[in-house]
Amino acid sequence: MFSFLFRRMLVLIPTYIGITLAAFAFIHVIPGDPILIMAGERGLPPEKYAELMHAFGYDQPLWKQYLDYIGQLLQGDFGNSFVTGRPVLEEFFELFPATLELSFFALFFALLIGIPAGIYAAVRRGTIFDHSLMTISLTGFSMPLFWWALLLIVFFSGYLGWTPVSGRISALYFFDTPTGFMLIDSLLSDEEGAFKSAVMHLILPAVALGTIPMATFARQSRSAMLETLSEDFIKTARAKGLSPFKVTMAHAFRNALIPIVTVIGLSVGVLLGGAILTETIFSWPGIGKWMVDSIFRRDYPVVQGGLILIATIVIIVNLTVDMLYGIIDPRIRKEGH
Amino acid sequence: MSVESTPNQAQQSALMAVLASFWFEFRQNKGALYGLVFIGILAFVAIFADLITPYDPIEQYRDVLKMPPVWAEGGSWTHIFGTDALGRDQLSRMIYGSRYSFYIGSIVIFFCLTIGIVLGLIAAFNRGFIENLIMRLMDIILAFPSLLMALALVAILGPSLENAMIAIAVVFIPHFVRLTRAQALSELGKDYVSSSKSMGASTWRLMFINVLPNCMAPLIVQATMSFSSAILDAAALGFLGMGAQPPSPEWGTMLADSRQYILSDPWMMGIPGLAILFTVLSINLIGDGLRDALDPKMKTAKS
Repeated sequence: MFSFLFRRMLVLIPTYIGITLAAFAFIHVIPGDPILIMAGERGLPPEKYAELMHAFGYDQPLWKQYLDYIGQLLQGDFGNSFVTGRPVLEEFFELFPATLELSFFALFFALLIGIPAGIYAAVRRGTIFDHSLMTISLTGFSMPLFWWALLLIVFFSGYLGWTPVSGRISALYFFDTPTGFMLIDSLLSDEEGAFKSAVMHLILPAVALGTIPMATFARQSRSAMLETLSEDFIKTARAKGLSPFKVTMAHAFRNALIPIVTVIGLSVGVLLGGAILTETIFSWPGIGKWMVDSIFRRDYPVVQGGLILIATIVIIVNLTVDMLYGIIDPRIRKEGH
Repeated sequence: MSVESTPNQAQQSALMAVLASFWFEFRQNKGALYGLVFIGILAFVAIFADLITPYDPIEQYRDVLKMPPVWAEGGSWTHIFGTDALGRDQLSRMIYGSRYSFYIGSIVIFFCLTIGIVLGLIAAFNRGFIENLIMRLMDIILAFPSLLMALALVAILGPSLENAMIAIAVVFIPHFVRLTRAQALSELGKDYVSSSKSMGASTWRLMFINVLPNCMAPLIVQATMSFSSAILDAAALGFLGMGAQPPSPEWGTMLADSRQYILSDPWMMGIPGLAILFTVLSINLIGDGLRDALDPKMKTAKS
């Protein structure tokens, strides 16, 4: 298991160097001079400009700048935001819990509905339930996420008035956020109604973000289940007289898990991408909105650092999925490819 | 003469037979047929947009701002889908917007297919260093969430529809490279390739005449699915202000324009959104049908 993991991580090294190169290249191929952008509308006197160029190392040869950049990254220094002046890493860790909370509940919602629905559709293949589920999931799969989010706002916030339109919690509440997870912090705060407010703020964005993964999970678990349900060992299990539930869950589902785990792993990239739109629409202060705002504000150190940090998350998730394969299917662990 | 024409005729009738059996399989899928009909109508509308639009899509009729569509209270047959906040006729904008969808989808798929196939074949035929170089490069692109990568690329290139399409193509290409390489590798081990090689076929001939046609089925399915994803992503970029720029009647940009009126005039966002949904859904249905028809083995298997 460990040698399998080790080999898998070795392959990552060139990829990771490439990611830093891509992020490094970003600031140099972008039109406009970063120093002038930082200076903003006021402009700069030439001597101040030269001083800043030197301070940021932009007057050095490119390869030296890159090596310095890698050196800084290895020390956990991702540079400072042009706009707030704060370290990029600090801002990232401050905002990341918001995205994590949103993505976690989106994923939870997607798994909770998508997978059982897919399994049930496979077991009841060809019934009305199966057909309507496939139609609904293909529709969900084709839904423009930002439009779906707006529809939810129009119906639940506008028409029914049930949920708030934006933010993580009502502006009425002020309390410390030690964990950064609003649901936990609001419970710890002892403020009356704070938890309810946090939940109401979370529901709509989580449903919006979870809808497309849900459709994917339903489709994938249905087709994976259909495949395993037709295998010989299922017939044997049935012939042994096991209950249909036990055959479905213990025998078929366990073997259908590999493709299902694959899509769950792949959906993390989808969730992070979707978080960009969802957070922008719901003014959710997470890393998706942070990245979009930084791109618009030309806050290049944030974009650069954010790209590397987000790619790191995607890579860690992919690695975890590979590890899960080994746990689910011992054959992969032994072959070790 | 007859010696020459016979194999040609045989080839032709073989092709006809393949097409006929393909159509037979494709027809089995009702959803795919509905999708094809919808896309057919949309293509007609896009081609003849100049003839069927009642108004100029960017002309502003200042006396009828935010007029609701005809079926809502206050609507009128003069502007069937109503007008937007600047008094532009929504129906005309929608009709011209359909052109953007085909434009975006076709250009993105063209770049994905050509670059993806070439890189994928090169990787499959040059195992070792070149293959590793290409595949690691693709890994790097795939390590970023596609929309984020596209956004960053548009930030570099500058916001416009053309740059958004380039960015989307770059983000999609790795899937085509991986698919082509995997297909080509599995074909390379087959007897027909080694016999062609032993008869002295050049690498180019092996790549494009022998191997590529046998890799096409999954690539066609992938291209169809990417066509719809390209439309979605371009609309998302347009919505974020990083795609088509106003006043172009691109559907995502129209949605962005309507965003501040979602609570007061929700119909304004309803029409472009529904259009995107139906277009993407139709193409995905066609993709499902193509998959069933082109590769019966995949019918129940992976998506």
